[in-house]
Amino acid sequence: MATATAKLTVVESKLLLREPGSLFTFLIPLFILIVFGSSIGPGDTTLVPMTLAIAIGLVGLYLMPTALATYREKGILRRLSTTPLRPRNLLVVQLLLQFVLALVSCGALLAVASLALRAAMPANLIGFTAVFVLGTASMFAVGLLIAAVAPSGRAANGIGVLLYFPMAFLAGLIQPAGQMPAIVVQIGEFTPLGAFRKSLEDVWTGGAADPVLLGVMAAYAIVVSLAAAKFFRWE
Amino acid sequence: MPVIDVTDLSKHYAGRTVLDGITFSVEEGEIFGILGPNGTGKTTTVEIIEGLRRADRGSVRVLGLDPVEDGRALREVIGVQLQHTQLPDNLKVWEALDLYASFYADPRDWRELLDEWGLAEQRNTRFAKLSGGQKQRLIIALALVGNPRVAFLDELTTGLDPQARRATWELIKQIRDTGVTVVLVSHFMDEVEELCDRVAVFSGGRIAAIDSPAGLIAGVDAEHAMHFTVVADASEELFSALRELAGVSAVTVDGAQVTVTGRGDFATAVTAVLARKHVLAADLRIDRRTLDDAFVALTGRAFER
Repeated sequence: MATATAKLTVVESKLLLREPGSLFTFLIPLFILIVFGSSIGPGDTTLVPMTLAIAIGLVGLYLMPTALATYREKGILRRLSTTPLRPRNLLVVQLLLQFVLALVSCGALLAVASLALRAAMPANLIGFTAVFVLGTASMFAVGLLIAAVAPSGRAANGIGVLLYFPMAFLAGLIQPAGQMPAIVVQIGEFTPLGAFRKSLEDVWTGGAADPVLLGVMAAYAIVVSLAAAKFFRWE
Repeated sequence: MPVIDVTDLSKHYAGRTVLDGITFSVEEGEIFGILGPNGTGKTTTVEIIEGLRRADRGSVRVLGLDPVEDGRALREVIGVQLQHTQLPDNLKVWEALDLYASFYADPRDWRELLDEWGLAEQRNTRFAKLSGGQKQRLIIALALVGNPRVAFLDELTTGLDPQARRATWELIKQIRDTGVTVVLVSHFMDEVEELCDRVAVFSGGRIAAIDSPAGLIAGVDAEHAMHFTVVADASEELFSALRELAGVSAVTVDGAQVTVTGRGDFATAVTAVLARKHVLAADLRIDRRTLDDAFVALTGRAFER
């Protein structure tokens, strides 16, 4: 069974690389970073956290739920349940690979930001790691819920896009939070993507992340993924 | 010992009875057909046997294994082709076979399957780029890659053109010839008649009959017709003699064309009368009774496709 899961991981990696959506979710935040990067001052602490949040948002809301819902729609999860391999393994492998894709995407953003743009890097590394993990977990939880309720891959894709734009707006990813009404910013901090963006910015400037925002992300990660597990259908 | 033993299976969905006392067994090495219109419980039955669903009542044993209790062991020895299964668009043929082979303790060499199922040239083709027949062959090959002792094939020729269906039938016979027991779910009469050693006829969640296709047809005493053309002038006396014969229900004459309808083996008696009266009959043709007739007689309703 270990070889089966290893082989599944290899095959799923190939499929992820062949999927044009993967390339887009990788390139879009990078493109935004480079376009807006030319106009930032040295030591900027706003742009890089924004692009990281966009990268995680795209993987969590768009790429991952579309992949999982398509697997159910095509009857692949059901087909696997007639083999000795459990379809659960496919979900776990998919989640891990999507997480790796998110890591690679963020790694590329950080590399370009620090080497080419001379932007500031997070001062508080432990805080950054905690925020990154919690933020990614909360966005993946939302993605899992989309995958759980969407009847098809196309529907998951549509729901992901519909959710992404309002969430990105409230999170201050479409225009910087500094230019938005205070009340909108406040509401935004209670969305997973908003809490993530704000916490990233906090650790970037050298401070500690706001425990309330960490709590918001953790709550979304737990509650929403429990809901996803409850509503998930294999067929 | 039968390969599959199903006893008194029942299943209800939302107060509706889907299966009601399904009992049958499948012997080693046969192609066993599960025939019936859509919505008569065929797929539900097979999915209970495969362990995908649970019955409300009844028992199932496949090679002595209980699909619920011994699911892991069962899945090693069965191969399944489900209705409407697809694969990821970008998965290549060899990757699919190689991947599914890795799920089993004792798989077949998937390179052999590539050749057997005529997919060698498509080895590096992605699933989305395959033709309908090639996709279907790959899906069947995936059901066999685990070296199963029982293969379940559900509506495998739906959507194929007549030529591809014929070709698929030959392949199914090949599967049986390698010693694999085949359970074939179908709503096509011709397919079942061509392939199956025995058939369970499903109707409204029950089994109406189990027999060989020939046995089912022979068991039906449906009215059928024989046609012939009389070469010389035939007298009205001949026709009344035919009407007198046991089993004959009607004789209609249209010019030289005569049609005799009846039940049972009336055709022998008709030809005997013709010979005795020295009537030369040409173009003699007896309508063959079909599995369709058997189905109507067994279930009391026409076969709705």
